[in-house]
Amino acid sequence: MSTAQDAVVRPPSLPVAARSGPGYWLGSLGSMMRFDLGQARQWAAIMVVIQVMMGAGMALMYGFFYPRITPTIALYISTGTPTLALIPLGFVMVPGNVGQRKLEGTFDFIWSMPVPRSVQATSTFLLYTLLSLPGTVLALVVATWRYGIHLSISPQIVPGMALCALMAVSVGFGMALAIRNPLVTNLIANALIFVVLLFSPIVFPPSNLPAWLSAVDRALPFYSMAEVIRAGLTSGIVTDLTRSYLVLLGWTAVGWAMTAWVVGRRR
Amino acid sequence: MAELAWTPPPAIAPSSTILRSGVPYWLHSYRALIRWHLAGLRMWLSLLASIQILAGAGFVLGIGLFFRHIPATAALFVSTGVPVINLVMIGLILGPQLVADQKLQQSYDFVRALPVPETAAAGAWYTVCLLAGIPAVVVSLVIAEARYGISFTLSPAILPAVLLTAFTGTMIGYGLGHAVPNPTVTRLVTQLFIFAIFGFTPILFPARQLPGWLAAVNWWFPFGHMAVIVRAGLTSGLVHGVGTSYAVVAVWGVIGVVASAWALGRRG
Repeated sequence: MSTAQDAVVRPPSLPVAARSGPGYWLGSLGSMMRFDLGQARQWAAIMVVIQVMMGAGMALMYGFFYPRITPTIALYISTGTPTLALIPLGFVMVPGNVGQRKLEGTFDFIWSMPVPRSVQATSTFLLYTLLSLPGTVLALVVATWRYGIHLSISPQIVPGMALCALMAVSVGFGMALAIRNPLVTNLIANALIFVVLLFSPIVFPPSNLPAWLSAVDRALPFYSMAEVIRAGLTSGIVTDLTRSYLVLLGWTAVGWAMTAWVVGRRR
Repeated sequence: MAELAWTPPPAIAPSSTILRSGVPYWLHSYRALIRWHLAGLRMWLSLLASIQILAGAGFVLGIGLFFRHIPATAALFVSTGVPVINLVMIGLILGPQLVADQKLQQSYDFVRALPVPETAAAGAWYTVCLLAGIPAVVVSLVIAEARYGISFTLSPAILPAVLLTAFTGTMIGYGLGHAVPNPTVTRLVTQLFIFAIFGFTPILFPARQLPGWLAAVNWWFPFGHMAVIVRAGLTSGLVHGVGTSYAVVAVWGVIGVVASAWALGRRG
């Protein structure tokens, strides 16, 4: 009797592989990266255009506003534009793509895939961080060519840039997940670009700003990004980076916390 | 048997007694379409007007931060350039995007089928764009005056300058929206316009700060000239030779009209 019942109740074949453990996690990450890369083909071209405009385009554009470009101005513009090129990717493209998936209704489908959600978030972080690098380098090349600046590139540019890209993607992703309405996210993203281009001391020194605005910018991540990247490209301009690194790490943590909170809860 | 008594409605609409031509009909259509736009876009236009005001104020204040002490000329160029951007932003950038959206949402053919003359439709759109842009122009000028201590000397020339600048901007946008069949292309071109207007045309800064070849290219485009004629209406002694600028802007206005007429006149 009991054996017959067991035979009925037990599902015919359980999946053999356990869906947990580091091996499964890494395997899933590989699949998810392939999946995301495949999707990236749709918007990669637009992304390149945006990055070139925001990076290389801005490097040229800021110069036009000055009647006379002094070496200091040139140095600030050249070392600020790689930061500008990094920003739209994390703060505009990531929320934009998540928003589009939400509007299309494919967002839930992707979440229903049999991979850990931490893998999905990690894959997004890695992919966007990697994709942001070429445009950033191009911005730097164009700026140094245009203004004839000699930079002294130090090894700390590598962790600096990686942290900046990771922070931007993390905050963008967290924001896109935590805010329900994609239109609100879009509005915030556009407002951020405006703030970044005009009111953040990225391509000009913070001493140009009124004290209160300078204080606000020290709390926002953009000025710290510029400081960290500038420190990797020059010597002697930026002295103390501890605060900047802490701000960036803080914002990365905020992004992750928002992501984890949304990923972890059930609707 | 009762069903057989039913006669189908006539296939042709009953002939209307209203004459669909003449000045009164045109004026009636013009007014009706202005009401149509204001009602249809009421949320959108009020949001946009506020964004324009914020953006205008933001640019006037923000560009000052590029400098430790902004030179008087730079401040004057920014202050008189931002109103130009305010004037063309809706007609040139958002107008085409709106038409592109209509094409995507398939409401384009419906709007085109409204029984109004094309010129009344274009005129109504121009009026709406002009009215939506003016508040931002005023706010930008007031903020510039407060921030940089500039005193503008308004001359009567400001009136034709503003009207023509808004007209040419709106008509280029109108032609673009209607003549380009693919909405994605429209969107891309307008994005490029935004980028060009802020950074690569001598609106917010003098043309001499551009590389020579770029200044030469800009001479053939209307944007720098729009800034020249508006600036001439706001200042005295800064701008000379506005005749050429008026001519170039007007020619581009005509190009916009011709492109629109061509796109709207052909049968799809």
